[in-house]
Order: sequence, then structure tokens, then C-alpha cells
Amino acid sequence: MKGHPALRDLAIAAIVLIVVLAVPAFHRSPAFEDFIIRLSAMALFASSLNLLVGNTGMVSFGHGMFYGFGAYAFALTMQMTELSLPVAAVLAVALTTFAALCVGAICVRLSTDYFAFITLAFQMLFFSIIISWQSLTGGDQGLRGGIPRREIFGFEIGSQLRLYQFCAVVAVLGLLALRHITTSPFGQTLRMIRDNENRASFLGVVLWRARLQAFTIAGAFAGIGGVLAALFVSGAYPELADWPNSGQAIFAVMLGGIDSFLGPVLGAMILLALNDVVTRFTEYYGLVLGLVILAFALGLRRGVLDFIRLARPGRAK
Amino acid sequence: MSGLVTRRTVLAGGAAGLLAAPWVARAQANTLRIGMQSILSGPIALLGTSSRNSLLIEQDRINAAGGFLGRPIEFVFRDSKGQPQEAARITRELVNSTGCELLIDAEASSGSFAVQEVVRDLGTIACIHTNSETSSLTADPKIRAPTAFRVARQGVHDAVAGSIYLADYASAKKLNKWATCSPDYAYGRDTTAQYLQFFKQFKPDVEVITDAWPKLGQPDFTEVITKLIQAKPQALFTLLYAGDLSAFVNQGNVYALFSQMMVATPNVDYPVLAAIKNLPPGIQSATRYLETFPDTPANKEWGQAYLKRWNERPTNWSWQNSVAMHFYEEAIRKTNSLDAKALAAALAGMKINSPFGADGTITMRDDHTTVGYAIGWGQTTPKEPFIIDVKPADWGKIIELETEWKKQQKYI
Repeated sequence: MKGHPALRDLAIAAIVLIVVLAVPAFHRSPAFEDFIIRLSAMALFASSLNLLVGNTGMVSFGHGMFYGFGAYAFALTMQMTELSLPVAAVLAVALTTFAALCVGAICVRLSTDYFAFITLAFQMLFFSIIISWQSLTGGDQGLRGGIPRREIFGFEIGSQLRLYQFCAVVAVLGLLALRHITTSPFGQTLRMIRDNENRASFLGVVLWRARLQAFTIAGAFAGIGGVLAALFVSGAYPELADWPNSGQAIFAVMLGGIDSFLGPVLGAMILLALNDVVTRFTEYYGLVLGLVILAFALGLRRGVLDFIRLARPGRAK
Repeated sequence: MSGLVTRRTVLAGGAAGLLAAPWVARAQANTLRIGMQSILSGPIALLGTSSRNSLLIEQDRINAAGGFLGRPIEFVFRDSKGQPQEAARITRELVNSTGCELLIDAEASSGSFAVQEVVRDLGTIACIHTNSETSSLTADPKIRAPTAFRVARQGVHDAVAGSIYLADYASAKKLNKWATCSPDYAYGRDTTAQYLQFFKQFKPDVEVITDAWPKLGQPDFTEVITKLIQAKPQALFTLLYAGDLSAFVNQGNVYALFSQMMVATPNVDYPVLAAIKNLPPGIQSATRYLETFPDTPANKEWGQAYLKRWNERPTNWSWQNSVAMHFYEEAIRKTNSLDAKALAAALAGMKINSPFGADGTITMRDDHTTVGYAIGWGQTTPKEPFIIDVKPADWGKIIELETEWKKQQKYI
């Protein structure tokens, strides 16, 4: 098994998927199912950001733009056309990918600080367009009227259980694809750029092209997350594309661990669970979240998975 | 090391179990849980807190009378922070994991639309929106949900009533040159346009010579006030509300704005009045909630009971939440059930007695929104009762023009 990491990843993904899909057969918990649906969207979003932050060393503050883009593109396609759900989803992701390619073409040549700023600027521009273009997007009220739940090859995702199954499958396949990308020679190239871009350049890597590819792929996966988020809230809202949402993804990456593939997934899990639990007890959610992040930053000094890996060096890869 | 970890794991598991125990225990109790979500933190927390206060009074009253179906009721309050996707999540959580059997959605409009979609999606829970005034929530048949209702003012009703009153007033005082000043987001822009549309219908010679669109929560209105004064309009219409309105009036007083033009606003509420240092007399104002309108003992008694319990006066949102519970109470009494479809069938077309009704009653129309609530316009006075010479709106005219508007929008 050790010699075939791709097979090992595939086996882990299959086991996780079987377990997640089997849970409702033994115990129906709508709360758990909702959690998994939201986690699917957030995990893809945060993991795609980590392809930039953790793998390539590109800190993007505007990644939420593509999450919001995916959500709006999907919701609008479903509302305005008669296309089936998978076709609408693929179209939405394709549009998001194209948007990421265009934005990336402008951003990736800039140095780290300016790259972070310009991604944020693009996100604010996109957010302003959503707010201003009321006739299309519904402005600050969001896209209303619901998303028609059409069948996928006879598989109707109107019920919560079906949505849960759909999201779990999409998320696991998406994460598996991202994992494959990060472990591929292309992923190795990205890490080489992160660690020493001059050396990578001398070895013949065209830096801007590799970065643009990473940026576009990350945008595409964030778009898939956005499609799942739109299905969950049955609409699309400007907050999905706003900068605090990018901040959430950055928090998830930092909390879970920047150097571990599953770090952002764990971070997303912690953030969502924290939100769900804390808001039950207090209206000062922001204060509690701030304290938790402070504790992680000052106490562990790294994300949870990175901390565990370092604490158990024998198992670190 | 492994022994320590095991012990820690056991301790953590035990602690988690202890933490979870009350939730499990509570879920098994006979109490009927009612989910309420709103904005309970941040600059417009008053929306949620004044709704919550009113619901807690209702909770005590209903429980003292034996609860719903013989079960005591208990509200579960959640703060959406005004974010639609969080509002959607909370609705699902309230129903799916907290076990709420009825919903009160006290969100602002953007949140309410998100809640509406979830309620439609779930299909098995009754929900009453208590604070969203955006007409399309129930007027647009594509957005209306089978088990969701609205007990609140509606933008189009207020626009018709206000425009008729202001057109009469403007004709009597010969006020033709107007200015507008409203918050720069969907509510401000859409509702201003709606008021102007009806206003021009009743008084075609009216002319808007300038408009100002301050940002929501803007602390300094100097630029806006000087722009308005320089344009020299005869009258100003503003949709600023809550803290923005009181800040505008306080800063406008410094520039003597109120002596230079007549000002009209539909958004004066008790907390706004409390935050204004010197309330200028003669502002033409709607009554969102006023103890003296309708001038009945029941209305006065409710307002005083709220003041006594919370040491502050109720808002417009407070009475709306109270009436929502009256509708639930009557529907449950009629159907003897909590089934969403049965409740929906009972609620549509229901008429209840209410201290906040124009004629002592409020009706839940078949299109899932309330009509017949008190709408009046009068003028401000610095001392209690703060708004005097209140003229009640003509509901016949409101419904006639609302129907016309619905046809224009292709809703009917």
C-alpha cells in the first residue's frame, strides 16, 4: 500500500464515503446531515484555498469571490433555464473557472503582498457588482425564489437525505481530485515554487503559468463549494461572495493546518461546530471565535493537524 | 503517554456527555418549543431584542392560560447576525436539531427571504414572518411559501397610506418642490421609488429637486444635510430609520434644517423618539407603534405592560410579534394540531380581535399577509404622546391601489 499513495487515498476516500452514506441507514439525524452538507461546501472552499496558500505560497484574500461566483452562477442558471441540475452545476463551475482564469491572469504576476491586495480588490469589485446589479442578482436582498430541485438521472435531490448524499459524494470526489493534484508532479512543482521560486525558475518552470494554473484550479473547486452552498440555502446571497467569507476560509486553513492536506477540512469542521455551539449560548460569537483563534495561534502556533504531525514525528511524512 | 491520552480521552468524553445531557433531557420534555430567529447583536439588535421582549410576554401569558394543546411553550432564540446564509442554517437547526415545532421569523427582509426558502424546502413546519416589510415576500406567488405567513406591515400598504396623506398635506400647504433622503440599499431605494410613484399619482405636479442616499449606519450626516439645505426644497421625505433617523434629526437640528423645510417620515418609533434630544414639532410622521393610536384601553394597556416589564417602550416590531402569537394561538385552538398544512389552512383568511387593528381586528388574507392593522399619519410634538392629530388611513383605498400594483408587477 505504501508504494501506491494514489490507491491508498482512493481507499480512504471510498471508506469515508461508504461510512458517511451509511450513517443515515442506522440513525437519521437531520442536524448531522445539515452539518455534513455545510461541511462539504466549506471543506472544498477551504481546501481549494490551501492549494494556493499551503502549496503555492500565494495568500489570496479574495477567494470568497469564486465561492460566491459558483453559487450565483448555479442559482441563476437553475432559475433562468430549464437545464438539468448536473448540467447547470457543470456550467456554473466552468464559468467560475473562466472567471478565475481571467482574474488570475492579472493577479499572479504580482509579488505576495500585492497579490493578496489585488485579489481582495477583485472580490470587492465582484461584491459591488452583485449589490448594484439588482435586476439580475437581487442586490443586497440576494437571489430569491428558490432553486428548482430537478432530478439527476431519476435521482431527485429535493429531500434532505438526497441532498446530503449528493453533497457527500461531490465533496469526497472533489477532495480526492484536489489530493491527486497536490501529490502529482504539478503539485510538487507548486511546492517548489513556494519554497524557492528562483530555483524553480532556473529549473525551467514558467512561474506565472504554474501559478495561474493553480489559481484557476483553486477557483474551480471553490466554485463547486459555492454550488453546494447555494443548494443548502436554496438561493445565493451577497455574503457568500463578501470578504469575511474569504476570512472564514483563511481561518479554516490556519486552524486545521496549512501543511496537511486534510487540515482545512478539519479547520472547516472546527469553525462550523464552533459557530453552531457558541451561537446557542451567547450572542457574542465573534468574541468567542476571536479567543479560540488566539488560543490556537499562541498555544499551538500552528494548525491542529500540523501540530499533531509535529508532535508525532515518527508518523509525519 | 498512551495511558495519559486514554485518561484524557475518557475525561473529554465524560465532559462532552455532561454537556450534552441537558440537551438530550430537554429534547425529551413535553415542552412545545418555538424557534425564533432575528438580529440580536450589532447596530440593529433592537429589531431582535424588542421582538424577543414581546414574545417573552406572550410566552408567560400563553403558559398561564395552559399553553398550546396543554403543553407549555418555550421560545428558543437564535441570532442570525443579519446574514442570510446563517439565517437559513438557523432555521434548519431550529427545526432539525432543536426540535422546534413552530417558527417565528423575526429577521429583517434579507434574512426572511432565506428563511422562506428553507421553510418551503422543509415543507413540514409553520412559520410566521414578523418583521419583513418587503411586499414581494408574500405578494409574489413565486416567492410565497405554502406554510409561511407574514404578520407585519407591508411596504406597499405604507406607501399608499403615506402617499395619500402627504399628497393631501402638500396640496393644502402648496408644497411642490421635494427632496428625498433614504438609506443607500434595496429597502431605501425601492421603497422611496414606491412612495414617489403613488405620490405622483395623487399629486402630479410634485417635483423631486434633489436626493441624498446616505450609507446605512453613517455617523456623520453633515454632507447630506448641507446638500439638502442648499437645494432649498419645500419638503423632505426620508426613509432613514432607527439610529440613523435619530442621528439625522439631532444633526439636522444643529443646522436648523427643520425650520427650512417640512419633513415627512414613516419611520418614527418610540426608541427613535427617545434618542432624539429635541424633537422638532411638526414633522409629518406615520405611527409605527403608538400607545394612543388606536386610542383604545387595550392598546394603552399592552404598551404600559411592556414598559413596566422591560423598562422601555415597545417598537413596531414588538406588536407584530405579539399578534403573530395571537394568530398561532387561534389557529391551534381551531385545528387542535401543530401540523403545518392544517395550521396553514386555518390561518389563511383568519380574522382575530386585536388592539392593533384599525377597527379592532386584523385579518390574515389568503395571500398569507395581514391587512387591517392600524396605519395613521400625524405630526410630531416634543412631549407625550409625541404624535398628535393622527388621521387613520383608508384601508379600502389601500387595498384598491395594492391590487393595481400587484397587477403591474404581474403577481395577479
